[in-house]
Amino acid sequence: MNKDITRDGKANGSSQSVITTQDVNLWYGATHALLDITMEIKTNNVTALIGPSGCGKSTLIRVFDRMNDIIDGCRIEGKVYFRGKNIYDPDVDVIEIRKRIGMIFQKPNPFPMSVYDNVAYGPKVHGITARSHLDEIVEKSLRLAALWNEVEDRLDQSAIGLSGGQQQRLCIARALAVEPEVILMDEPTSALDPIATAKIEDLITDLRKQYTVVIVTHNMQQAARISDFTGFMYLGKLIEFGRTVQIFERPGQELTENYITGRFG
Amino acid sequence: MTKKNAALLAAVGLIMIIGAYTGGLIGNGRTAEIQTLSVRGSTTVLPIVQLAAEKYMDLHANVNIQISGGGSSVGAKSAGEGTVDIGMASRELKETERSEYPTLNPIAIARDGIALIVHPSSSVSTLTVEEVKGIYDGTYTSWSELGGEDVRIVVVGRDSASGTREFFWEYIMKKEDFVQGMLEKNSNGAVKQTISQTPGAIGYVGLGYIDSTVKALNIRVGNQEVEPTTENVKSGLYPISRSLYILVDGEPEGLARDFIDFILSDEGQSIVEEEGFVPV
Amino acid sequence: MAAEIKNPFQGTGGRRIVERGIERSLLISGTVAVIVVFFIILYLFRDAYPAFRNIGLGKILTGMKWNPAGEPPSYGAYPLIVGTVLVTLGAMAFSIPLGIGSAIFISEISPSRLKTGFKFLTELLSGIPSVVYGFFGLVIMTNWLRIAFDQPTGESWLAGSILLGIMALPTIISVSEDAISSVPTDYKEASLAVGATRWQTIRRVVVPSALSGITAAIILGMGRAIGETMAVMMVTGNAAILPEPIMNVFSPIRTITGTLGIEMGEVAAGSSHYHALFALAVILFIIVLLVNSSALFILMKLSERFRPSGKKSLFQIPKIVAPLLKKVLWGAVALLVVYYAYVRGGTRGGLEAVVLLAFSLALLTFLARKSSPRQGQKIVFSAISGSMAVVMVLLGVILYYIVVKGIPAISWDFLTQPPRDLGRAGGIFPAIMGTLYLIGGAMLIAIPPGVGAGIYLSEYAREGKITRLIRAGIDNLNGTPSIVFGLFGFAFLVLYLDLGISLLAGMITLGFMVLPTIVRTTEEAVKSVPQSMREASLAVGATKWQTIRRVVVPPAAPGVITGVILSVGRAAGETAPIIFTAVVFSQRFLPHSPMEPVMALPYHLFVLTTSVPDSLHNAYGTALVLLIVVLMIYAAATVIRLRYRRTVRR
Repeated sequence: MNKDITRDGKANGSSQSVITTQDVNLWYGATHALLDITMEIKTNNVTALIGPSGCGKSTLIRVFDRMNDIIDGCRIEGKVYFRGKNIYDPDVDVIEIRKRIGMIFQKPNPFPMSVYDNVAYGPKVHGITARSHLDEIVEKSLRLAALWNEVEDRLDQSAIGLSGGQQQRLCIARALAVEPEVILMDEPTSALDPIATAKIEDLITDLRKQYTVVIVTHNMQQAARISDFTGFMYLGKLIEFGRTVQIFERPGQELTENYITGRFG
Repeated sequence: MTKKNAALLAAVGLIMIIGAYTGGLIGNGRTAEIQTLSVRGSTTVLPIVQLAAEKYMDLHANVNIQISGGGSSVGAKSAGEGTVDIGMASRELKETERSEYPTLNPIAIARDGIALIVHPSSSVSTLTVEEVKGIYDGTYTSWSELGGEDVRIVVVGRDSASGTREFFWEYIMKKEDFVQGMLEKNSNGAVKQTISQTPGAIGYVGLGYIDSTVKALNIRVGNQEVEPTTENVKSGLYPISRSLYILVDGEPEGLARDFIDFILSDEGQSIVEEEGFVPV
Repeated sequence: MAAEIKNPFQGTGGRRIVERGIERSLLISGTVAVIVVFFIILYLFRDAYPAFRNIGLGKILTGMKWNPAGEPPSYGAYPLIVGTVLVTLGAMAFSIPLGIGSAIFISEISPSRLKTGFKFLTELLSGIPSVVYGFFGLVIMTNWLRIAFDQPTGESWLAGSILLGIMALPTIISVSEDAISSVPTDYKEASLAVGATRWQTIRRVVVPSALSGITAAIILGMGRAIGETMAVMMVTGNAAILPEPIMNVFSPIRTITGTLGIEMGEVAAGSSHYHALFALAVILFIIVLLVNSSALFILMKLSERFRPSGKKSLFQIPKIVAPLLKKVLWGAVALLVVYYAYVRGGTRGGLEAVVLLAFSLALLTFLARKSSPRQGQKIVFSAISGSMAVVMVLLGVILYYIVVKGIPAISWDFLTQPPRDLGRAGGIFPAIMGTLYLIGGAMLIAIPPGVGAGIYLSEYAREGKITRLIRAGIDNLNGTPSIVFGLFGFAFLVLYLDLGISLLAGMITLGFMVLPTIVRTTEEAVKSVPQSMREASLAVGATKWQTIRRVVVPPAAPGVITGVILSVGRAAGETAPIIFTAVVFSQRFLPHSPMEPVMALPYHLFVLTTSVPDSLHNAYGTALVLLIVVLMIYAAATVIRLRYRRTVRR
């Protein structure tokens, strides 16, 4: 997998980049799903990945925290540097990576536990047992996720009873509770109504102050509204990557322009 | 897809039916009229009747004798109520059975000695009848009390429907209870199987079941050690013996009569002897 | 005079009659199934009643001595009830950890291409007939136990528990594996995404989510263990005593089913002994009922916990009490260990096993706790893989003995000739055919009302008290031990209807035994067809029956067929229901009327093993043939299922 370890991450990663990929190729069995992806994710920015369905944007975002590990028959080549270290090196503990890079999924997926236990889940698996400490983390995370006021008095009730938007914010709180540096979001609003979507978008804008956010979306307006950088993907390739303003106003590739103007996809 | 499944199922069904049909042909042979005789009861008597039946059926191709076990009580009841043609019992009829089925007619076909068997490794080779009772009522718990090694006695007996147990209980135990914790087996073979695998175990089986996998104990009568052999049973020296019966309702007729005569004939009685019983 | 207005929406009369006729006939088949269910229950109680009246319920339940042949006879069932409970508990202590471990292994740890293989092997384990287990247990396992633990005899509580544990394993594994695999991947991903290890994910998210299914698995396995007759009867020694001390696993023991199996065939009908045995059957039935109902109760409570409603569940333990409770529990375990180590130090027996088990468990927990999550995962995963390995070894050992020792016995003559010399020589042809006759007849009897009742319950019956009652009745009958069916067949068909020991009585008994399974699998399969498909069909104007026949039944058919075939397999391997109703020890010819008795493979094996000296050679051969017959039936079910899956995927 790593034929070339000598080249070290610093050369590529500026002080501003938190994640850098280099010639990433990925296969599901015989299917070549990602082709030569090279890109940088800048600290404290929101990076959006757009493209038509099946273009590989969800696959790419799962490369960043090695969630593809759990899929049978998935093979990856190339390098993904996080803070200057290739996360696919054999001496890397995937648990450490996932602790520092959180993930939010397309469908809200709270555990069938109480609200409290959902948020406390991460800290607990990382060995925090003191009740007072957990209480503190839960409250802080729920506040950060702008959910505290809504669930304050029902912390011990099942999370399944929350609305879809609340569930998704709960999932964000659950991710925040382990204090990650990067939050990956895989179409986090695609299952939500416009009002819940607006709340999540506000939340993302707030989160940018403390975290680096990578978001996959096929809602181009959403990408335009909340992101600082945008990457356009097509058929497993990263066609164009740049500042959001530039991508949407002066796309460099015809393919990008066609997509953004709605001429296909 | 469902069509395929239905076809598969139909094929399986067809094969089964054809199999059953041709099976029936093979089994039934060419004979047109088959006479059936049903026999049920004691598992002790069963081997004699079974082997006699096999010989008898070899001689009479149109006869089908069906034999099943169940125990003496079942034999008496089935024959008494007429659910079978012939019953088998390894004991005399009980008072209750005699009053319930007054016409039930027991015919002695053999005598059987009951042997006490132990694991071949046991150093004990002789017991008195009283000692046997002591073992089965729980007085003795270790072989060391009877001159053997210090090994716990594993008491093995028959289940409550067994005629052998009935006989043993009346004759040896004088109708006292067996020790609790006695392993109960539902056949002579099962008793022997357990004894042959278990050092320290003692059990009782018909003489016919004795073989090299177990050791049969001699019984001390007075000063004499009597071996459990057919000769000693015949001569009356061996004290633990009983008659084996087949039971018919009233006087046997037709096929039943013929079959019973066959068992009592010299050829039949030679089977009795081959299986380790004593001819009458 | 106004012209009669013709109703343009009036259907043709014929169509309505057909519809109504079909609904009626389905209703009738449903009713037949239900009547059978309640009739069996009623009949059991009827024949048990004289015993309760004459001996007294209290005396039966608390009496310490079971000696029906004594003078006077005593009918104390207490040792038998305790025996049943102990053997079952022992089996569970052994099969729950192994079973759940293996289920976790199959669904979460094993490489996906091996999954099907492991599942198939597990099903193989469930296809082994109980009399084959008993045969293996009696001839091989009890001897091992005797030597390994230096006991006077290996026929014991432990032997029964191990055997029952093995027999309960396939149920526990496959049902919990289903439950674990059906936990949404979303949950697993969410847990992994916050940096939990795989083991943390399994322990904190996957297993709790699958808990209701796992509980159901345990209860089902327990039901199988409680109701098992032949295997238990062959290896537990059948002494009607309480173990001394009560935890002495090497003590012989006698269960309710074992007592029924031994004594029922040899008892005079109408005697007090006969009624006492029916009283035992009723007690057994009630125990099974209690187990099943408590399972339902637990499932209900568990699902309540995960329900979105704001209501707090009754089952939640208050947060302050929970750790306390945990400490108390551990303390109790520790005390128990100390008690056995010191107070009972003198008695040999379960001591070593208990101490060893407790120690290794404590060590494992300690190691898992103290080490990092990653090392903990390693330890736990190797334990889980170990449990799978144990299961596979068990299967391997049983199959090895039966196949290796059985093959030399098998020849053309063995398969086509009747037995000779008490089965020591000759073949088993009448037994093979007898078994085929029995299961064929049982299917003819059970399939029409069973499938009809299943369709009726799913498509026509309104959900209400009566439907629920019917379903509960059928479910309970589903869990009813097969020996109870044997008893019913004996009392009602053989004696009361005077069918005698006959093929017909055996077919009906087996048919009744598989009826509840067929009803429930049909209902489940039919129900799983999405409602939208029915609506689509009704929307184009199809009648209800047309919809059922063309849209609902076809996709449900593989499920129904699989269910039916599996129940055929079960019927083929059963001994307990036919031992009093249909079989004879030996017969040279095949029956030419259903009123004649037959030979059957499982019974033949049972007789050879227990009653015929020097017949081990042919016993192994018979065991192998029986195994092959049952496995072929199971393989057919697997083929149909796989084929169905393939077509769906396409």
